[in-house]
Amino acid sequence: MIALRDVSFGYAGTERPALSRVNLEFLPGEFSLVCGATGSGKSTLLRILNGLAPHFTGGSLSGSLIVDGQDVTGSKPHELASQVGFVNQQPESSFVSDTVKQELVYGMEQLGFTREKMADSLKQVAKLLEIEPLLDRPLSWLSGGQQQRVAIASALAAGQRILLLDEPTSALDPEAAAEIVGVLKSLAHEHGITVILVEHRIERVIELVDSVVIVANDGLVTKGGYEQFENYHLVPPVIGLSTELSWNPITVSVPEARSNWAKNPKSWTPLVNEHLSETVAMEVGNLCVSYDDLEAVSDVSFQVHTGEVVALMGKNGSGKSSVLWAIQGGGKRTSGSVKTQFGDPKSLSADERLCVLTLVPQKAADLLFLNSLADELSESDKFAQLTESGTSKIFESLTGRLDPKIHPRDLSAGQQLALVLALQLIKGAGILLLDEPTRGLDYAAKKSLAKQIRALRKEGKSVLVASHDVEFVALVADRVLEIAGGKLVSDKSATAALGVGSAHPTQISQITGEPGLLTLSQVEGASR
Amino acid sequence: MARQFTASKASPVSWWLLAITMAIVAGVSQSALTQIVICLSALVAILIFREEAPWSRSVKFYLFLAGFVVIARVLFRIVFNIQNPEDTTALDLPGFSVNLGFGPPVELFGAVGIQALTGGATDGLRLAAIILSIGMASSLANPRTLLKSTPSALYEIASAISVAINLAPQMISSLQRVQKARSLRGRSKGLGSMAGTVIPVLEDAIDSSLSLAASMDSRGFGRRGDLSKSLVLGARLSSLIAVAFLSIGSFALLVGQTQVLGWALIAVGIVASFATIRINSKSQIRTRFEPVKLQFFDAVLFALSAALLTAAILGWFA
Repeated sequence: MIALRDVSFGYAGTERPALSRVNLEFLPGEFSLVCGATGSGKSTLLRILNGLAPHFTGGSLSGSLIVDGQDVTGSKPHELASQVGFVNQQPESSFVSDTVKQELVYGMEQLGFTREKMADSLKQVAKLLEIEPLLDRPLSWLSGGQQQRVAIASALAAGQRILLLDEPTSALDPEAAAEIVGVLKSLAHEHGITVILVEHRIERVIELVDSVVIVANDGLVTKGGYEQFENYHLVPPVIGLSTELSWNPITVSVPEARSNWAKNPKSWTPLVNEHLSETVAMEVGNLCVSYDDLEAVSDVSFQVHTGEVVALMGKNGSGKSSVLWAIQGGGKRTSGSVKTQFGDPKSLSADERLCVLTLVPQKAADLLFLNSLADELSESDKFAQLTESGTSKIFESLTGRLDPKIHPRDLSAGQQLALVLALQLIKGAGILLLDEPTRGLDYAAKKSLAKQIRALRKEGKSVLVASHDVEFVALVADRVLEIAGGKLVSDKSATAALGVGSAHPTQISQITGEPGLLTLSQVEGASR
Repeated sequence: MARQFTASKASPVSWWLLAITMAIVAGVSQSALTQIVICLSALVAILIFREEAPWSRSVKFYLFLAGFVVIARVLFRIVFNIQNPEDTTALDLPGFSVNLGFGPPVELFGAVGIQALTGGATDGLRLAAIILSIGMASSLANPRTLLKSTPSALYEIASAISVAINLAPQMISSLQRVQKARSLRGRSKGLGSMAGTVIPVLEDAIDSSLSLAASMDSRGFGRRGDLSKSLVLGARLSSLIAVAFLSIGSFALLVGQTQVLGWALIAVGIVASFATIRINSKSQIRTRFEPVKLQFFDAVLFALSAALLTAAILGWFA
């Protein structure tokens, strides 16, 4: 259906090829997952398949691309548009129209379909993606999941049989993501479409895919076995458990793992936070935020203790970010109070707030503005009036030593986050607010962030982290608050919120069915 | 959403046409009153027809820019004051004479005349009127649908323009986000932070434009069907000639001194547009699902633009 023969790809100005000597073939109706660490070239691989690389990205390509038995090497994306559909990470950035219907027919208009044919295909594809009731709606009214459905539908409307998707679920909450992945599976298995998906959160899709393509950092690409994951630190919990307990063959499906565990359960240790104190570090009372007519946050009250990590979970648009910004004082707060040791952050100046609490926004890199790591670190020392290199000490404790001459924009997403944490903590803030810190992080970076947060907790810092990444929350949180439609709907311990029978059980709790067992690290003998 | 008359009742082309006509009128008119009327109508149009959409968030920015231009122009006249003995003094400031070491000394401040002040204000208002007219179009019309509703003859040029138009609102929303984030680091604002703001904002804007362009290309935009390369080149060339001659021609007419030349240039432009359409229609490469139906509202905007343009050509605003 679509194949790469001996393909190598390199960007200008880099010595190391992004991809080297790739040979891959995808069959009709195959649902394939492409994964690899951040920056490994998996998005490049996807873009080669429809000509976006090198035509949009630059770089040089050798080898050949074969679609439907034809050698189409060197074709531009619009020449492959009738055969290959492409879906981006953020659907709203790729929309061309105002309404759903207009968006769906856009591709067909470009390809010169007749009006009757368009009406026909429109009906079919809307039915396929179950978006018939949305056809006349403006695109900006849709939820994230609905937008992604529309983006998929418009990539397939002209009858394309190959669908490429670049992290389509990264901006979605778990429910919406699961729905989209289910849709992709049925497109492949029931309708024979070749679906090739780049995805970070392997646990969301691993059970459903037919094949796995792994792109290593050295540009080598392999297709096939799950054993590969271990070597590349791409370990979703189910595979981690499987390798730790030496199940042979390696299990990727939760039901299978469940029966394996039932046959031979291991002992495990419950989660305890030995650093938690009785002191309340922050008390949020009756917090309300409204924008014009919209009530984004209504009457939210909770406490965070010293040395406690609290996760704020909820769907996209449920008000998580608004809560964090309202607490920090820089965002809008309609009413309500926040009590800390030094008073309400809202009444403090921006500089004074940094001694009390600090917020790391979704795009942490926005906070970096100097030209080298060394400049950022020394500017921060100067700001905090330290003579010693205090900031680099924090930074190194989080991520290890790095070349001081490196430009902050060249750091990986995980390293940027660590740098921002170091800069923001230099004034000694005891409360840390994190807004969706795991977006764009691979497993290794997520694990390292979790370690950093636990180290900060040990120092007695209190952390409030907004996230919808269940597995990450299970690694760090002591308590989970759930927010829906701006209201606090539950406040439970992490084991109750993410354990067996809860709304978002972790993979390990789904497998083991043991109340109180959430993560792999709790299992006896596990190295992690 | 209960309001009946919103910007999307008319096609984006109509809004841009009206905006450009208003800008032309502002450009040729010498009267402060006309400029004020244009500024006000642009603002009123924005207030009445505005919709809740990402591209309508840029209004504040255009308003700020317009205000800044007027104030700057007037201040300029006060600081670099050219004395006019016939003018009635409005502001009697002490004058300075600065010797730069070359040329005659520069006179600063001094008695500022009424004419100098109103002249400065009119100049500033003219620019403000142009800025607000463009601001009106870019906050009322979705830049992306503008791209869709452009005739295929002008596709290449239109796509470049659309991506450029799309940059401004995108940059404004990124700017807001980056500034909000930057406030988290404390620190009073300085030059260093300026540079630090510009980079992420530009990065965002370029990323978003590229990702839009990539998405359009992946869906078949830019296909040239079975036209030969030389014909495609011919179509591009003639569309370029059409746009260039039509705009230079209308400029010549508006300036008013070379009527014959103006009409001649416009005639060439019209011929070139027909040639472009002719070449492009040789291969049916694009179709439309819903033909563009011009609404009643479009007709109103068209008529308004035509009336304004005719009046400008006839010299009513001079």
